[in-house]
Amino acid sequence: MNITPDPWIWLSALLTLAIFSFLFRDNILYQFAEHLFVGASAGYLIAITWHNQMVPNLFEPLFIQGNIVYIIPLLFGLCYFARFIPKIGYLVRLPIAFLIGWGSGAIIPALFQRDILKQTQGTLFTTEAFAKWDTGLWAVIMLVGVISVLIYFFFSQERKGIMKPAANLGIIFLMLGFGASFGYTVMSRISLLIGRLQFLLGPWLGIIE
Amino acid sequence: MNIFKALTKIPRQVIYVVIAIAVTIPLLKPIGLPIRIMPKSQRLFAAIDSLGPQSNPVLISIDFDPQSMPELYPMLVAVLRHCFARDIKVIIMTLWPQGPGLAEIALEQIPKEFNKEYGRDFAFLGYKFGVTAILLGMGDNIKSVFPVDYHGTPLDSIEITAHIRNYDDLSVVITLSAGDPGWRAWLLFAQARYNAKVGIGVTAVSAADVYPYVETGQAIGLLAGMKGASEYEILVHEHGYSEGKRTATQGMDAQSLGHLVIMVFIIIGNIGYFVIRRKK
Repeated sequence: MNITPDPWIWLSALLTLAIFSFLFRDNILYQFAEHLFVGASAGYLIAITWHNQMVPNLFEPLFIQGNIVYIIPLLFGLCYFARFIPKIGYLVRLPIAFLIGWGSGAIIPALFQRDILKQTQGTLFTTEAFAKWDTGLWAVIMLVGVISVLIYFFFSQERKGIMKPAANLGIIFLMLGFGASFGYTVMSRISLLIGRLQFLLGPWLGIIE
Repeated sequence: MNIFKALTKIPRQVIYVVIAIAVTIPLLKPIGLPIRIMPKSQRLFAAIDSLGPQSNPVLISIDFDPQSMPELYPMLVAVLRHCFARDIKVIIMTLWPQGPGLAEIALEQIPKEFNKEYGRDFAFLGYKFGVTAILLGMGDNIKSVFPVDYHGTPLDSIEITAHIRNYDDLSVVITLSAGDPGWRAWLLFAQARYNAKVGIGVTAVSAADVYPYVETGQAIGLLAGMKGASEYEILVHEHGYSEGKRTATQGMDAQSLGHLVIMVFIIIGNIGYFVIRRKK
């Protein structure tokens, strides 16, 4: 064992243990670490937004370089604060309308391309997919899965006849998907624990390299 | 209390302690369980491996924070080692405000292992707020979005960024993403709109969501969680690119034992539940 004398690693290790103490029960050490984290994060975000966003993108061009056009985004931004003054509160709609309009125009076509066109294309049978027997089998399973799940979410017709077994098959595919997601979630959480243990056993206690 | 009822009511503190022990032991005494390389990781590795010193730079976006370091930081280190070992130029940026600190840690260590020089072999553009405007703007002109690098040097005066204009001048974009903004935005704008080659590394919790995009070829490859990171580390090691420390691979024994314990608890809980239900 080779315990570090570095005070920052000690601080980090003690805060980690304070957070872990919540696993036993809520306590003052956990609350201290949690509040410290929230405060430090908020302060960091404010500082980085100021230095990384406000100063180079607005204040420098407007007040130092004298580029008068930048007064438009400044006024638009200030409109957000109109919410605090009831008489001119309606002004907040201006930047919101701009953001929604611009955002929708920019995002909707790309979203359609990413999630509808390409994904539908990927579900279709191609000669490439059937070049090997295993990829062909997966292509068939995928198509059956997509169609049965779509039938499960089709609510305009009563589930009888062929619709009933198809929807039930859709449930099986959905459950498999949820199971895979849950398995990956467990993996993710265990990874976080491993990361902290590697830190405690490594840089702090010096037990592992 | 009936034993089966007790099985369904194991105190959570007991479960935590057992998991902690199961995860700690392999960290102290590695078992060396085999790790199989998944095709999706192999594809990303192959895409980078096909590049060389004459190729356009690879762009790596650090879209995560310290909370996701155990899964994503080893990916960053492994991809950097792979690129530097093959003399591929690397440009780094981040869409997360916590990203610059993580980039500094990696760039302090990895380039030194390969004698790489800032400006000639790699550059760090820093953090910018506003995902949509940033990624769309980069499709038009990267220098309009990042006129200067993280240190305030104009991109025109940095060797590897001087001739870069947009995504067309990048070989591959790799996003190491812990959520939003991250892989979804890169696929939405860089890939769907500008047809950039996008490789993705994600935390395991997001991996199932990325699969459909890899299947359709919208993403050129996927590294999923600590397992994906360890696969990339192994590939880099096996190809003789680096002998450096492999953090994710060291954690995989612990990962496997942790999973085993959770599976056992799930089975125990279910046995208790079904036996009680049958008795009723």
